[in-house]
Amino acid sequence: MKFYKPKNLTELFQISEKIAGKKYFLAGGTDINVQIKKKMITDEPIIYINHLEELQGIRETDESIIIGSLCSYQELLNSPLIAKYLPFFRASLVNFASPLLQTMATIGGNIANGSPTADVTPLLLVLDAQIILMAKSKMRHIPLRDFFTGYKQFNLKKNEIIGGVQITKNAETGYKTFYKKVGSRKALTIAKVALAGLKNSEEYKLAVGSLNEYPRRLSKIEEYLASTNTPESVKLEELLKQEITPISDMRSDKDYRFQVCLNLLLEFIQI
Amino acid sequence: MKLEFILNDKAVSLEVDPMKRLLDILREDFGLTGTKESCGEGECGACTVLLDGKPVTSCLVNAVHAENKQVVTSEGIAQKPLGKLLIACFDETNAVQCGFCFPGFLVSSYYYLKNDGEPNLEKIKTALSGNICRCTGYQKIFDSVMMACHRKQEQEK
Ligand SMILES: Cc1cc2nc3c(=O)[nH]c(=O)nc-3n(C[C@H](O)[C@H](O)[C@H](O)COP(=O)(O)OP(=O)(O)OC[C@H]3O[C@@H](n4cnc5c(N)ncnc54)[C@H](O)[C@@H]3O)c2cc1C
Ligand code: FES
Ligand code: FES
Repeated sequence: MKFYKPKNLTELFQISEKIAGKKYFLAGGTDINVQIKKKMITDEPIIYINHLEELQGIRETDESIIIGSLCSYQELLNSPLIAKYLPFFRASLVNFASPLLQTMATIGGNIANGSPTADVTPLLLVLDAQIILMAKSKMRHIPLRDFFTGYKQFNLKKNEIIGGVQITKNAETGYKTFYKKVGSRKALTIAKVALAGLKNSEEYKLAVGSLNEYPRRLSKIEEYLASTNTPESVKLEELLKQEITPISDMRSDKDYRFQVCLNLLLEFIQI
Repeated sequence: MKLEFILNDKAVSLEVDPMKRLLDILREDFGLTGTKESCGEGECGACTVLLDGKPVTSCLVNAVHAENKQVVTSEGIAQKPLGKLLIACFDETNAVQCGFCFPGFLVSSYYYLKNDGEPNLEKIKTALSGNICRCTGYQKIFDSVMMACHRKQEQEK
């Protein structure tokens, strides 16, 4: 396994440019080390990034909060900026993995690993987060909802990395909020179904995890809810069938997942 | 790579593969076998150590990540006053059965006792939620930590 520890971002891009095939960026290592153990990663090159200052920290601008991709869950939970502007986001992260993992696991790694079950993604989707993508001499911001294109497939150019995410300071302001992650136990649980939602008198924002190839917004249901004061459960069920494609796996079967998602949706409508 | 870090308050260095797991370094290169491997995937907490003061699963930490950091293992904690207090409470409560999970519980409990220490059951449960025990029913473990929190408060009076 070839290993690199670049001094800074410039060197990172120089190294990464020269590697033609698959490579991994070692951030918190909580996914990578499990994949090494399971022999899903064998001799692909590894580039260590956790020490790179350019990708660390939580900052504010006049309108936004910018979270560096290397921010750990613990940093997010302890950040005064997050507590002040994004209390719903913060409260929803409390049950991520366990305190032992929260120290290591990073937000960038959670998104980039691309698991349909990633906890942070549905939350960022309803907050209309932008993802910041960095390349050697360029940086671009795109809505997170446009970042995913398929199972572990991203709108990410060769030699681009995730620099961080950007959320507007008022992303939660004036909304009623909802987040539920359903798993087999409280700590150390991978979501079987997760639903995040925001609503005010005019609009609805809904996103689900673990129910499609990647976490996504439920646009049809959002539109339907905004268009009626008396949503019908038959109609919701019909739309939900179009929006989610739950699978059966070792954690649960697809009918269970569908039903739980519908129940969460009805619960969200009541708040 | 040449890895330098502080291990149980002593500066150490060794030549090592940057991807070697901290767990293996502790056990194989330093003979600190208190740190255990069970799942090897971050799920059980048997391999918990403090890295720069915070509890982590050392099976998911690579050598490169420990560079210039402070690592404290269960052996190191056992030498500290709060570690001794915890061990006495675990002992009095008969909380330990086979003992395999214990070094991990000691590290997580120590972190809680040192940084919070409120005798609050919900908080203690959360602090220990990354550690799994296959023998006991957890109750005595929680009782021990609760006891240690009370004793620490008394000592501080
Ligand atoms: C026991 C256990 C429990 C877990 N529980 C949960 C849970 O409750 N919820 C949940 O969502 N996840 C959970 N996970 C999964 C994992 O902890 C998260 O996905 C974590 O956020 C990954 O971050 P990391 O920094 O550790 O990633 P790493 O392992 O360092 O990297 C993961 C992937 O991201 C890529 N990557 C990392 N940073 C960047 C970047 N800046 N740009 C581009 N690519 C990058 C790497 O190449 C790699 O493919 C759990 C894992 C374990 C082992
Ligand atoms: S061996 Fe590290 S968490 Fe189980
Ligand atoms: S005492 Fe045996 S696993 Fe905990």
